[in-house]
Formats: sequence, C-alpha cells, structure tokens
Amino acid sequence: MKRSLIRILTVIILFGLFLQACTPAATKAPESATKAPEVATKAPSSEVVNIAFWHAMSGHNGEVIEELVKRFNDSQSAIVVTPTYQGSYDDSINKLKAGLQSKDVPAIVQVYDIGTRLMIDLGVMTPMQSFIDKEKFDVSDIEPGVANYYSVDGKLWSMPFNTSNPVLYYNKTLFKEAGLDPEKAPRTWADVTEYSRALVKKDASGATTQYGCSFAIYGWFVEQFLAVQGSYYVNNENGRAALATEATFNGQEGVDLLTWWKALNDEGICVNLGRATSDTKKAFDSGVVAMTLDSTAGLRDRIDAAAGKFEVGVGFLPRSEEADYEKSGTIIGGASLWITNLRPQAEQDAAWEFVKFMSSAESQAYWHIQTGYYPINSAGYNEPDDVAWRAKYPQFQVAIDQLHMAPINNYTAGGLIGVFPEARQTVETAIEECFAGTSSPKDALDKGAKSVTQAIVDYNDNIGQ
Amino acid sequence: MEGQKTAHYKHGTPFQKELKNWLAALPFLLPSIIVFTVFIFIPLIRSIVLSMYGTNPIGQMTSFVGLKYYQRLFTSDQFINSLTVTLKFVLYTVPGVILLGLILSTLGNIRLKGISVFRILFSLTIAISGATAALLFMFLYHPILGIFNYLLSLIGVSAIPWLIDPKWALIAVAIPRIWLGTGFATVLLLAGMQGIPEEYYEAAKIDGAGFWQGWRLITVPLLTPSLFFLLVVTTLNAFQTFTEVNVLTNGGPINSTEVMVQSIYRSFYFNGQYGYASAQALVLFVIIMALTIIQFGVLEKKVNYE
Repeated sequence: MKRSLIRILTVIILFGLFLQACTPAATKAPESATKAPEVATKAPSSEVVNIAFWHAMSGHNGEVIEELVKRFNDSQSAIVVTPTYQGSYDDSINKLKAGLQSKDVPAIVQVYDIGTRLMIDLGVMTPMQSFIDKEKFDVSDIEPGVANYYSVDGKLWSMPFNTSNPVLYYNKTLFKEAGLDPEKAPRTWADVTEYSRALVKKDASGATTQYGCSFAIYGWFVEQFLAVQGSYYVNNENGRAALATEATFNGQEGVDLLTWWKALNDEGICVNLGRATSDTKKAFDSGVVAMTLDSTAGLRDRIDAAAGKFEVGVGFLPRSEEADYEKSGTIIGGASLWITNLRPQAEQDAAWEFVKFMSSAESQAYWHIQTGYYPINSAGYNEPDDVAWRAKYPQFQVAIDQLHMAPINNYTAGGLIGVFPEARQTVETAIEECFAGTSSPKDALDKGAKSVTQAIVDYNDNIGQ
Repeated sequence: MEGQKTAHYKHGTPFQKELKNWLAALPFLLPSIIVFTVFIFIPLIRSIVLSMYGTNPIGQMTSFVGLKYYQRLFTSDQFINSLTVTLKFVLYTVPGVILLGLILSTLGNIRLKGISVFRILFSLTIAISGATAALLFMFLYHPILGIFNYLLSLIGVSAIPWLIDPKWALIAVAIPRIWLGTGFATVLLLAGMQGIPEEYYEAAKIDGAGFWQGWRLITVPLLTPSLFFLLVVTTLNAFQTFTEVNVLTNGGPINSTEVMVQSIYRSFYFNGQYGYASAQALVLFVIIMALTIIQFGVLEKKVNYE
C-alpha cells in the first residue's frame, strides 16, 4: 500500500514540475485588466469610461504615480483610470506579452525605454502620433531629446513619462576628508581613478574600510558610456537609419571602458559589488563607497538616505576624456506610456486624455520633485514648486544640464533593437568574464557581440524582415 | 464480490472481464482524466508542437523549423552549462537537506519536556517562501554590509564575494535552499520515526543496545521508505530550482548559477525564444523522467517496506 502511495505522489510531483517548467505563460496569467474599477465615489453616469493602466513603479515612486492617477480621476468625471502595479519593467512587459495571447491587455501600459522596438513590432499599439495629429496637439514643450528617443521613422510612438540619465553620485563629506574639493566632481575617467586613489582607506590589518567607487555591472551604464564617446551599440546608426542587423558595442570604445573599469577594481581602489544597483546604492548610503553611478531617478532617495550623515554631490557621467563633452551626450533612460489598439476606440481616446494629463507641466513638475526623474515637459521647469525645489536642492540641476548638453543625434537616441533585454544581460555577462579574468576585455565583448548579433538575426527572421 | 461471481458463472473470456473492469473504473477515473488532460496533456502536446516552430514576438507560431531548436540545444555551450550547473546544484543541496533533516528529526524525536517547541522550530522553514528566503540571504550576503562577512571578519577570515565570484555563487544559492528544505525533511522524517513501534527499542534496550546502536540498526532501516521518498522529492525539487537563483543572481555571474529552469525562463521571457524554451523544457522533462525511473528501479529494491 505504502509503495503505491509513494509512487502516486512522485508522479503527481513530477507532472507538477513539468507543467511549471513548460508552460509559464499558462500559470502566470496576468491579473485581469478588465477588473471593474471602483466607481462608487463617482457621480453615476452612463458616459463614464473605465480604463486600466499598468505601471512598473514601486516604493515611493509607485505612491507618486498613484497620486497622479487620483488627481486625474478627481479632475473630471468622464474617465476613471485604474492603476495596477505589474512588477518590474521586465515583469510588466512579459505580462503584456502573455496578456496579448488572451487579448487581455490594458488601455495604457508603461514600458521601459529599451522595449520600444519590441513594442512597435508587437503590432498592437496605436502610435501616439495619430492622437497628436488628429487633435493638432502642441508638442513643442516636450523635450526634443526625449521625443527623439521615442520617435521611430518620424513618428512619436509613445508618450515619454519618466525620464532619467545616469549621473555620478559622490559623498562630499568624504571628499573633504580626503582633501578633495567637494564642489568639484570628477569629469573624466582619469579623474575618477585619481580621486579614488585619494579616497581609498585601509585599516591596520590592510583590509579596505573605504572604497573610492563602486559601479554596478549594469548594461545600461555601458550603453551610456558608449553613447558619450560617440559610438553605436548596434549598426545602421543604432538601428535608427534602418533595422539593425549587427551588434557593434565591441569596438575600441567598449574595450577602453572595460579596461579602465577593470583596472579600478584590480588596483583595489574600487570594488565590484555585482549586478544589483541596490547593492551599490546601499554601500554608498552607508559611506563605505565614496562615488557611485546611478540614475537621476534615485536622487531623492540618496538625499533622504544621507540626511544627517553626509552631503550628496552629483556630477556628470564621467567621460573617457574632456573632449567627449563636445562630441556627444547621454541617452534618455526611463519609460514611456503606450496606448494599445486592442481596446475599444472610446477607451483609447480616454487613454489619450490621461496621457495628456500625465505629460502636462504640472504633473511633470510634481513627478520631478517627488522622484528625480526630470520633466519631459520643459514648461515643468517654470512651475513655481519646481523652481523652489531646485533652489533648495541644486543637485537636481546637474541632471537637467546633462540632458540639455546632449546633442540630438543617433548616438544619444540610443540603440533600437527588439532583443534589448537579452543584449543587456549578454553585456553584463561579458563584463563579469572580463572582471573574473577569464577573458580579455576585447574577447569578452567580441563573444557577447556575436551572441547578440545572432539574437538580432533570429528576431528579424521571426518578424519577417 | 458479486460482479466477479457473475463473471465466473458466465465463463467470460479474460478479455471481457478486463473490459468490464475498465468500464466500471472509468466513471471513477474520469475527473482525474479530465484534469490531467486539461492541465497536463494538452500543455504537453502544445509544448512539443511549439518546440518545432518559429514564433513572432508575442509567441504565436509562424514557421515550422523541425528539430532546429533541439539541434541548437545540444550544440550550445549555454545548454551544457545549465545542465552542469543543475547537476552541481542537486549535489550541493540534496545530501545536505537529507543529512540535516535526519539530525534534526533525531533530536526532535527525543522525549523531553517541551520538545514540541523544538519540533516546531526545526520545521518552521516550511512556512517560508523561496522568494522571502532569497531576499533575506541577499541582505546577509552583501559583500560589504552583510552579516556573514562581518562574522567572518571577527574570526579573521577575509570577506567572501558570495554572489559576485563565479566560484562562490552557486554555493551561496544552495545554502538558502538547504535551509529551506530542512524543515520539510524534518517533518517527514520525524513522522516516519514516530511510526516506529516503541517495542523495538525496548527489545533492543534489553539486549543491551545503546542509543547509537538503536538509531543505526532500528531507526534508519525502518525509515528507508521516508528517506527514499525524501530523496526523490528533494532531487526533483532541486532540478526545478528557480526562485532563489532568480532573486539572488539571475543566473550570473558568468552563468555560473544558470540552472535549467532559469535558463528556460530567460529563453522564454527575456529572449522571446518560445520554441527554443519549449525544447529546453522537454529535455528537462525527459531527464527528470529518466532519473525517477532509475531511482525507483535501483533504490526501491533496497527500501525496507513494512
């Protein structure tokens, strides 16, 4: 008896495993997008349009986005937006893909920058441009560099919402202790190396107690470091002039970057804390690491975390040499709002109203102050709250300056490929191989580029190009 | 039984008898047949079909590619790597879980006042989800601020880059899994131990056996059904490990923790290679199936069933 019981149990577990392994889409069905939102507080009206909005903002930023939705819902009575947090950017886009199979999609979805090509190729989005054209909506206030990123073939496909840049965060207090000028952030790679040498501290036993810097192994930083050197991530001018067919991040610019980065770690003046930016941020907040790289979106958090302990300084993304500042600039990061064409026209029109609200000067100024993402609407800077905020925290100005410094071209427009999430992971693996010493910077990048090229070719095949 | 008697009197052929039995059994089996068909057989067949098709970015099948993905699978370093990593992970975790479970259940089986408190403590990890445990360990593993490296520094050992060094990462991922698995192992083995009649121990005591002899010669042999079940379940669980890897390392650094399910997840979700991911999943299925048959065939013979 017992024997057969064990056998049955094993078979059940085995099948359970198989089911889980083979059909993740089936087991991870997205939460219903058509869930009826709470309309009890609204005046009863047959005209009310309910729309679902999927976003990927968690923590404080998530609260701010919900507050903006609430403001929109309160501002009128015709539309009710229901926001749903769908997990990280990756989770959110995967849920969208799963939802597409069952036609269970929201009217609006927030998708990260690097999902742009994929979203267009999914073929289920209404370009923002068609709403703009229909209404002759004035887009002159949208930051031109930002609009450039989300425009493909002359069409604005999605409305930018949260936009950021990578900046160098540094600990002014530690700078002072090390005899460095706390008002002067390092501008070049050589500066970073030199400053780190001054900032590193060891105890009597020789163990390092304070590091000059720590940069997370994050593919986004590589994309940025390439752009500021005037280098393309993929061919055909970053896939902007024509569909990209080959990865090109393994050029001299990429090799130089990894060589410099590895040398910082090998010399022991900087420390490799792995891929998670949360780990480098934690180390920076605790004062063990004097400089780190992160998105401007984390500025508010950094300032709050350092309050009472040290003063946070913000500098531009360090360039390979001073001349780079004239050559090129950083890429737009963050995410944008997409309207799906699978929902009824009334919902799409309602979604457009919401998108307009979210990109308004007032909303963007509030978003800017609360998070550190800069306003995509340049009129947002003139909002009195925003002016007062920047006067109090001049660090916010650095990100804005970096944005406005960047020339508008296909370097700063960023790469456009459907397999970007995969490419990013491949690049991160290449960096790890280089740091571990198993490959030279050149070999690691060559191998990564070969794999990404293969992925691009397969992708293009599958979409019939 | 009445039915058998009738069949006997009617002198039905064995085949007719068999058929009749089947027809009688069918209504009872139907619910499970339906459930298995909907949730297992249909997805299984779909996976097989999907593994032979190219797909568009949404995952709809576009073009027939035959066995291309299988071909690519067996020539890919990445697949060989994920296979090796998975096997290593099984080796790192399964013996640890069983051994710790055995020790804790033995301790929990001692008759003492208040032992139930310890039994609860020993099995508490059942109530913890893999994701929670992984997040917890992520804090503990932080190379600079983590408690593990702090404790090591107290005894003069230099910091270990737990999740950053490819040599350490898989071990670091295995530790929370062992910790989590121990709770279930303890409960299972403790239940098995309590099913062993007390008289055996009393008889052994009269014959002059000590605690250790009693444990070795009575407890463990009579526990073999539980141990065997635990071995099978823990091995299957280790093969399907995903949560800890996904949270702690995402398969990195340098793919040193990319177990098979993580690899399938990456192919399916990140890389949008739905067909290739299905092929990977089917290969995993076949491997586990084969392993289970081997485990039953070889080990079952040595299991002492009451």
